[in-house]
Amino acid sequence: MKKKIIQAIQENESLSAYKIEVSVSSDRIVTLIGEVDDWQQVVDCGHLSAKVKGVRNVVNDLTAKGIVIPKRDRSEEIQQAIANGKETACDIVVIGAGVIGCAIARELAKYQVKTIVVEKNSDVAEEATKANNGNIHPGVLAKPGTLKAELNLKGNEMYTQLSKELNFELQRPGSLNVIYKKSEWRKMKAIQVMKKTGLGHLVPPMRQVMKVPGLKWLTGEEVKQMEPHLKGDPIGGFWMTTMGLVEPYEVCIAMAENAVENGTEFRLNAEVLDVLVENGRTAGVVTNQGVIRSEIVINAAGVYTDTIAEMANDRFFTIHPRRGAIAIIDKSRKGFLKTPAGIRGGKEAKKNNTKGGGASVTPEGNLLWGPTAVEIPWKEDKSVEASDLDYITKLGMSVTNEIQRSEIITFFAGIRAADYMEDFIIERSRKVGGLIHVAGIQSPGLASAPAIAEMVAGLVNEERGGLLENPNFNPIREPKPQFRHLSHEAQDNLIQKNAKYGNIICRCELITEGEILDAIHSTIPATTIDAVKRRTRSGMGRCQGGFCGPRVLEILARELEKEPTEVTLKGNESYILKADSRQPIVAGRRKP
Amino acid sequence: MKELNVDVAVIGGGPAGLAAAIEAKEQGVDHVVILERDVELGGILQQCIHDGFGLHRFGKRLSGCGYAHHFIESVAEKAIDVKLKTIVLEITDEKIIYAMNEVDGMMKITCGAIVLAMGCRERTRSQVFIWGTRPSGVLTAGTVQRYINMEGYLPGEKAVILGSGDIGLIMARRMTLEGIEVEGVYEVMKTPGGLTRNISQCLKDFQIPMHLATTVVRIHGNKKMEGVTVAQVDEKRQPIQGTERFIPCDLLVLAVGLIPENELSRQLEVEMDPRTKGPIVDEHFMTSIPGVFAAGNVVTVFDLVDYVSLTGEIAGRGAAKFLQGKLNLDLPAKDVLPGDAVNFVVPQRIRTVNAEDSIPIYFRVKEEMRKVEVTATVDGEVCMRKKHPIALPPEMMVETIQLEKIHEDARELRVSVKVG
Repeated sequence: MKKKIIQAIQENESLSAYKIEVSVSSDRIVTLIGEVDDWQQVVDCGHLSAKVKGVRNVVNDLTAKGIVIPKRDRSEEIQQAIANGKETACDIVVIGAGVIGCAIARELAKYQVKTIVVEKNSDVAEEATKANNGNIHPGVLAKPGTLKAELNLKGNEMYTQLSKELNFELQRPGSLNVIYKKSEWRKMKAIQVMKKTGLGHLVPPMRQVMKVPGLKWLTGEEVKQMEPHLKGDPIGGFWMTTMGLVEPYEVCIAMAENAVENGTEFRLNAEVLDVLVENGRTAGVVTNQGVIRSEIVINAAGVYTDTIAEMANDRFFTIHPRRGAIAIIDKSRKGFLKTPAGIRGGKEAKKNNTKGGGASVTPEGNLLWGPTAVEIPWKEDKSVEASDLDYITKLGMSVTNEIQRSEIITFFAGIRAADYMEDFIIERSRKVGGLIHVAGIQSPGLASAPAIAEMVAGLVNEERGGLLENPNFNPIREPKPQFRHLSHEAQDNLIQKNAKYGNIICRCELITEGEILDAIHSTIPATTIDAVKRRTRSGMGRCQGGFCGPRVLEILARELEKEPTEVTLKGNESYILKADSRQPIVAGRRKP
Repeated sequence: MKELNVDVAVIGGGPAGLAAAIEAKEQGVDHVVILERDVELGGILQQCIHDGFGLHRFGKRLSGCGYAHHFIESVAEKAIDVKLKTIVLEITDEKIIYAMNEVDGMMKITCGAIVLAMGCRERTRSQVFIWGTRPSGVLTAGTVQRYINMEGYLPGEKAVILGSGDIGLIMARRMTLEGIEVEGVYEVMKTPGGLTRNISQCLKDFQIPMHLATTVVRIHGNKKMEGVTVAQVDEKRQPIQGTERFIPCDLLVLAVGLIPENELSRQLEVEMDPRTKGPIVDEHFMTSIPGVFAAGNVVTVFDLVDYVSLTGEIAGRGAAKFLQGKLNLDLPAKDVLPGDAVNFVVPQRIRTVNAEDSIPIYFRVKEEMRKVEVTATVDGEVCMRKKHPIALPPEMMVETIQLEKIHEDARELRVSVKVG
């Protein structure tokens, strides 16, 4: 195996000149050590190694010249946290409150276990979960036989029930592959024949398509009728009708809130510093808020899953951060496109290692362009570059050229937690008892989340040798009023019941003080400007919080009994206000 | 749901709305109501505590609040109905307004005439495409002004200002006076965006450097801002490699332009002018929908509040005349068009039959020009000439055309500017 890996790297022109040390462990884990010139080469080496048959995963310790990824020494922090002596006990610790951690927490709430979710950020859904296109993929694109393929299909289906129970918005407009080229149309027709006749079962790459329900082939006319704003004259379309759309942070918050309602504890601003391992079994975690002892630790830490695995001395994969940038277009274009659409056989997609991307739509009615997929060395680098937006604009323009770049109201990026096998890693640790890894969750992670959670509950069941159902589990999360969606009559009634719903705070999105108060006093309280935004949409519109920012800040300070200078945008030190200007100047500075 | 009938509803209680309401009342309209979203009248003027307002109208330098106060007093004296903390959700083409507040709940207001006076909003960071991360510490100049002047808080210790429009310049001075270190003002264009007097009084007097043809290209810091990178730009406003400079700071103040706030106008489907980004209006500032008027920054962003008030008065007068049946809307309107070197004109249409003795035409030039002559032509024949020492894009120009110069059969009026 080692020879084959070396050979694969040597055969690559851009890599053959480097001295790369390859080792393979008894359990088929490849480790790469050495230095190359740029980051893409680091990633390429990882991928080449992962492709060699039999490799279980790749630990990539290659470095690129001039790129130093600082390693944090946590030993002092750990000692401090242990010395502080605050210790709690529970059955299960879930690390990470993204959509995966929250889905797992909610799934475990169905059983008689005490779960604590720890999250280093000040809110749930703070990382990749808040920065993706919200597509509940139909499952066509995943490679047959992978975990992604299986869980995507299952997860997609589960969303219907989930959205009813948790009262989050789910739409299923399907997703449209638009075809302009005859060669592409012929390929699509061939797929149609194979699907209809069942012949596809005999062709390995077709096996996933055979499993996906609701596929439709449209003529050019039908495509135009469905989406009149598409560019040019499509000759056909491939409509995957099961594609769903959600606001991803809303799904995550809904699952977290329902978990809390069913007894789960969430600890925010709690960063895991160490994983405790005693006698080959996990014994819990050390966080900056103290030690939590537990029988089971679930590693759902997104881009840091490899760091957590390393803390448990079970490092067998490397996460290579992949940045996806997205642009949002104002709601004034609501209804311009009905379905997310991409161009079949488009050039842009292939160059950039994405699953296509294109023009998508959010349930609220914003158009969404992107995402990109760029390999980057740093796990926290959520910057957006000019090249990203150029690419995104091209993607959007390939679908319709009626939307101008000037209609973009915001852009942002999320970091996808990809491993080198480019599949999900969902398994009980082979080294440490009680440790469950849920890693490498990239697209279609959101679509798969409910199925992943179910699978993890199965692993917990194995680990514990049985799980008792929680007879008091209530799957329903009650909906909260959304003023903007009501009729004028219903709006009037709501204001009569509670005048706070009569006070509009965010004018662009029509968000009332009542809704902001609901968010601040919910089961996972919103404590930052961004947390309020994710729960209510205040600040998501055209003026991007110019008008409502100061007012949301004022409400947060009042409700949380804080000084306005203590309110943050997104936790940590992200204060909006530096000082009270009525305080006297002391030694050239105003007192904060 | 509460149902009301009013003669004139004015949406927005800033300088345009105040002037419109007062004028409508003075012209004999019985029931005028101002619908204002904030807790008090005055609009953005209330946070403008600097002076320089009202030079044209009152002949003295007032603060923004002082200027607004004159009008607010008049509104009270004239018993004009005011609804505060009130948001308009919808206007139908039958001139029915759905508006709401905590006290009245939802209201259905049937109006004889409507004046749109919603003002404008600030362009954001995304709209000027600044790359990098999204930490706290990126605020628009108006938001910073609100925090400092109204709420009494300082949003940073060291600031970089992007944009040399008037708001940026005013905030440079204001922040300096409050003890925030202003590193500099950066302007992507080769010429400053603000009024000459503001450059002198707000920057030069405080030794704040202005960097022209330079812009902020990147924001640093994941949660809290660590700094920005600035770079010089070329003729096409693209950053020049090698000129980048990192500036550590915790506040980036954006003064990168204003956009007329026209969501209600668009929803109502009034005809819009892509150049002004506001409704197309006639000599009474009436939009393409009879009985719906627009005034102030919703029409186009003016630089002086005096102009905003004037257009408010014109619209208020128009609304009164409309209700009194004094506007003849049967005849076709004449077009007012931007000629050479002119970016846009307001109003864009004139019905001479309805007009008063003279008509003010507001316009901006496309680029800086010295020793210019402004000419107005009626169907190609010159009807007015006027010389000015200088014409600058940031400074709105206004010329008054005598009605007698525009003959009845004329089709168009064109305003041009040329050197000489």
